[in-house]
Amino acid sequence: MSENDIILSGKDVTKRFSGLAALSEIEFEILRGRIYGLIGPNGAGKSTLFNLITGYLPLNQGEIRFNGQRIDRMATTRINRLGIARSFQIAKPFHELTVYENVRIGALFGSDGPRDTNEITTDALALTDIEAMADLPATALTVGNLRKLELARAIATRPQLLLADEPCAGLNATETEEMLNILRTLRDRGITIWLVEHDMRAVMSVSDRIFVIDAGVKIAEGLPKEVANDPSVIAAYLGAPVKVTGRADPGSGTPEA
Amino acid sequence: MPVGVFVQTMVDGIMLGGVLSLAAAGFSLIFGVMSVVSLAHGAMVVIGAYLAYTSWSLMGIDPLFMIPCIMLVMFVFGYCIQRTIIQWAVERSSLVASLLVTFGLALVLRNTLDLIFSPDVRSVSPPYAFMNFGIGSISFDVVRLIGLAASLCMLIFLAILLNRTGFGRKIRATAQQPFAAEICGINVAHIHGLTYGVGTAFAGVAGVIIGIVMPFSPNAEGHWTLNAFVVVVLGGVGSPTGALLGGLLLGLIETFTARFIGPSLTNAMMFLILVLMLLFRPQGILGHAFGESR
Amino acid sequence: MNTEAPNRNSMLPFIWISAVGLLIFLIAPLVVSMFMVRVLQLFFLSVGLAVSWSILGGFSGYWSFGHTLFIGVGAFVGGNLASALGSDWSPLGILFTCMTAGGVASALLALILAYPLLRLRGIYFAIAMLGLAELMSELASNIDVVGGAMGLMTPDIVPEKLNPAVFYYYLFLVMGVIILLIAARIKYSRFGYGLTSIREDEDTAKMLGVPTERYKITAMVISCGLVGILGVLYGFSLGYFTAPSVFRVDFSLNMILHNLIGGIGTLMGPIIGAGIMIFLTQVVLGNLLNLHVMITGLLVIIIVLLAPAGILGTVKKRIQTRRLEKKPKVFDDE
Repeated sequence: MSENDIILSGKDVTKRFSGLAALSEIEFEILRGRIYGLIGPNGAGKSTLFNLITGYLPLNQGEIRFNGQRIDRMATTRINRLGIARSFQIAKPFHELTVYENVRIGALFGSDGPRDTNEITTDALALTDIEAMADLPATALTVGNLRKLELARAIATRPQLLLADEPCAGLNATETEEMLNILRTLRDRGITIWLVEHDMRAVMSVSDRIFVIDAGVKIAEGLPKEVANDPSVIAAYLGAPVKVTGRADPGSGTPEA
Repeated sequence: MPVGVFVQTMVDGIMLGGVLSLAAAGFSLIFGVMSVVSLAHGAMVVIGAYLAYTSWSLMGIDPLFMIPCIMLVMFVFGYCIQRTIIQWAVERSSLVASLLVTFGLALVLRNTLDLIFSPDVRSVSPPYAFMNFGIGSISFDVVRLIGLAASLCMLIFLAILLNRTGFGRKIRATAQQPFAAEICGINVAHIHGLTYGVGTAFAGVAGVIIGIVMPFSPNAEGHWTLNAFVVVVLGGVGSPTGALLGGLLLGLIETFTARFIGPSLTNAMMFLILVLMLLFRPQGILGHAFGESR
Repeated sequence: MNTEAPNRNSMLPFIWISAVGLLIFLIAPLVVSMFMVRVLQLFFLSVGLAVSWSILGGFSGYWSFGHTLFIGVGAFVGGNLASALGSDWSPLGILFTCMTAGGVASALLALILAYPLLRLRGIYFAIAMLGLAELMSELASNIDVVGGAMGLMTPDIVPEKLNPAVFYYYLFLVMGVIILLIAARIKYSRFGYGLTSIREDEDTAKMLGVPTERYKITAMVISCGLVGILGVLYGFSLGYFTAPSVFRVDFSLNMILHNLIGGIGTLMGPIIGAGIMIFLTQVVLGNLLNLHVMITGLLVIIIVLLAPAGILGTVKKRIQTRRLEKKPKVFDDE
């Protein structure tokens, strides 16, 4: 495995809020072109880790490297320019703009130089299957479609790495499967994806590899099957072994006995 | 510089500062509890002054005795304004809307005062208005001393109201967590109305005292709104203590500027302080002021 | 999918109306009274100011309550420079040199102020600008070398035989059109779309790669530079002015008000707003000077409560809602 394959890495990543360690000495290596999962109980520090990577919060200790380059002291805008995009659990569309105009902002700015904005925008809309709603005001969309808009806007910035924060939260089974298929298509296009999810079946079925953190510490890492059967993960989070199947089944993350 | 001049300037500053504090206390309360910047605050202060003036010229009653009555009138007025105009504005748009709406209100009030009383400058001059006495080489204006005393009393009253009464507790709860307060059975809209009423009442009282201590006109409303802003920026939002600190500081700044830089530059100094504080220390000297300004 | 800059076809009626309007304004001084000429002159100045303000306030959402600062700066720089140039220069030469100087001075000042000020959000930025404008006004009145207290005289640059009111009418009309064109160019450019995203949600914009700091500063420099140029012209049109006559709070407030009434963030909004306000105050209430302030205040309250998006904004929303209602529901899950 050459160094080139590692798109994102973190060493000794620590973040404290007034003395409380939200993250302690986290280490990770993300390989290009794969889908990774990040799971853990609420308050474990998952969103904080994403905030650190995108430059929204500063590190207390450690370093984060993107394509070998240190990014832990860079400004958010610059980090996006380098090729990291993020989508949020609570969608924050630009209210006064239409769906198309929202996605276009991502296309106009984002990573590289001059480009055909219209083509990129329509492409992102098609990928997330919201092309039909392009002229609607963003506020007219349902939650599921807003989530797709978030994704489309992030993709339009032509990222190499997409950090997806709970993209399936609040979606029903059909919508979840659509979302996962979108993520798989993105992966096939070469975008590396790291997603935070609570829906166990969803994250297990789509991820190539999963990290587990609890109370700011990484407690497990590996293939979905390994993680699902790891006793410390079960104790901290899953409650009982999760049956890992090839598809997301209806229902939430409640494990089968 | 001669010690006498220094001490005199300090004394003048403190006496002025007391009044400035009271004139800002209501604004501070409203902003702290409801996050509403009431640009109509200065107008309320000036209305208080005119109410005092009217009772003085019509009935010859010393304005200080009219304070309870004027407070009540202003309280009701403020409550009505909040429950209608301001509440509607916040519901419809955002908090910026409350800024604009109170601004429009200030203009309407100012013009109304202009029409009723004419733009001429006025003052209220009870018998003690021109008396002064000296202790050593320091001279004290009786009127300003009374103004300071009255202001301190009212600030203490406000502090007691906020910290020792059930009413005050409800206000503070609503300020900290409006949603939770609602769940606990507090009618948040009503509390907001009451808060604005209290803020307006205290603005009115400040106006009464100001009416005695210095000249005023409808145009002064802008000055008193800005004064409130600077006091809050200096001393912090939401507490009478902050208002007192900010006001005293501002009073000292004004008198020292007038004495040692130039009397026509006091306004310039006030604006300079405002801008510098907003730029470099928006949370105020003590902390807590406009912390979310970045 | 049509939401690029309005294409040629949808623009056509708009272009026709503008052309006709422009033609009317061009020949107006020949047919209307001098009173109307002066009112229209004020209208063009107000439009220029309101549209310039809008480049910062309307497009990017940073509402400055102190833009009159740059009118004053422009007027004083222009006025002082004109005196320094003396009478050897041609009137037009003086005019253009002073306009450039005033514009550049304002732009530079804006650049210096932008770094610290644009870190403030919302109302704090608004109040800081207000404080700054008042501060400058007080300083200008008290520092003798600038000439604020005694007043400044500007040279007469009006060509002979031309009525000064008519001269300045055309001057402000041309400036207004130029500023409008600049604003339109910005609005439909990548820069303009970036400003819009800053207005909508600055943090998200950053995360999408929008260079927010650079864009905000640029918008402020352009906005204030244009206001500075107008300030130079205003100073010349007055002939003689003191600090309080060019540092006027009501200038600042009117810029905001005209945008508010017409529709913040739109191009035509400030024009509509300025038109309404000036018509109301100068024509309808011309004689009732003592009611101007009250009418302004009532208008602000009414607009905020009933049409917070301004006239254009509310109309656009109605059209949008009606269009949504007519469309078959495609956005539920199929």
